[in-house]
Amino acid sequence: MMDCARYRRLIMIDPQDPDPSLREHRESCHGCNLYTERLMRFESRLDHALRVSLPSDRVVWLSAKSRPARHSPAYRRGWFAIAASVLLAFVVAGALWLSAPGPSLAAAVVGHMAGEPQAWRRTDVPVPTRALQDVLRNSHLRLTDATGVVSYAASCPFRGYRVPHLVIQTASGPVTVMVLVHEHVAKQVGFDEQGYRGVIVPVAKHGSLAVLTRGADTDPKTIEYIAARVLDSIVWTG
Amino acid sequence: MKDQVGGNQKRARFQALCQSLRPDLLRFAFWLSRDRALAEDVVQETLLRAWKAQDSLQDEAAAKPWFLTIIRREYARCFERKRFVTVDVDDLVAREEPTLAAAPEAQDLAEMRAALFRLPDEYREPLVLQVLMGFSTAEIARELDLSNAAVLTRLFRARKQLRVLCGEDTSLDPQE
Repeated sequence: MMDCARYRRLIMIDPQDPDPSLREHRESCHGCNLYTERLMRFESRLDHALRVSLPSDRVVWLSAKSRPARHSPAYRRGWFAIAASVLLAFVVAGALWLSAPGPSLAAAVVGHMAGEPQAWRRTDVPVPTRALQDVLRNSHLRLTDATGVVSYAASCPFRGYRVPHLVIQTASGPVTVMVLVHEHVAKQVGFDEQGYRGVIVPVAKHGSLAVLTRGADTDPKTIEYIAARVLDSIVWTG
Repeated sequence: MKDQVGGNQKRARFQALCQSLRPDLLRFAFWLSRDRALAEDVVQETLLRAWKAQDSLQDEAAAKPWFLTIIRREYARCFERKRFVTVDVDDLVAREEPTLAAAPEAQDLAEMRAALFRLPDEYREPLVLQVLMGFSTAEIARELDLSNAAVLTRLFRARKQLRVLCGEDTSLDPQE
């Protein structure tokens, strides 16, 4: 027969221990039964305490092809590297939104998406470097390697200008990035419209950047994180 | 062509596996390092290494310990590369306050999280592996390269110290 000290020691090591001899002792000893109940309450709190809410989606999927930049104070910061490829998608923005009376910037960006369903396909085929450079050059920027492999890029008409429209494959799926050097916003704007969720962030001296995902699977914090990472990887050349 | 399709499916499955494990991997890295930013970096590096080494994972059922091993190695590499200065635990708790915080009605959780920060590494890690990751004693022993007896001792001491740190009534707790 197990004694109380041994029982409590074993239950302290593993309160979930299914050993029948432990159960037997517990059922036959009122003191240990009460002790176990208290310990189990403590254990439940411990379990909850360990499950901290962390922005897990901030860690993005990496392509083996990409090597992230490092600028982390603690380790290698910034070196996320969005996994993948950027799709080139190009939409004739459409007379509908162009003629609409003053749509918000977010609505215009979403409207632009509607015409480019092919841009959202998953692909790991990178866009040719030269094609990407051509798209970015007009907006006076280039992307560092930290961006990851860009597989799709297009120069799209948008509110009277041509803007880089990229699609990057991330752990959260394809993410569209539009570099809106002519659109200035005072502060970050999140939106969730017509099946698209995204954020428009101001970029000092360079307008703004729109980042969108399709559907509601990606939480806004993740999108903000991706936007920040993309911004980090942009080098302005003019 | 067939190989490429198979390769794509394999990659997709591996990515899905990583996605499903990622929250727990991040939590583990957080409790290991007590530093959210560092945990994110470590897990990010882990995912990259895992991606490159995915062929070495023969059995998806063994994925969790496989990933944890990579995380622990990555975390250890931090110490090889950098000389970490001694940090006061109070400073660590203050720095990670947003992560340790709990709802107003569950302040005891925040207190327990702070107490976990104060637990020595050699006790906190096996406890996290057991409670959060669901590891058995034998699995913890394998992961930490310890004997079973050592793991039992550490788990016992971990809970005992944690209960003291949390201000629990320990008068009926067993002695070592």
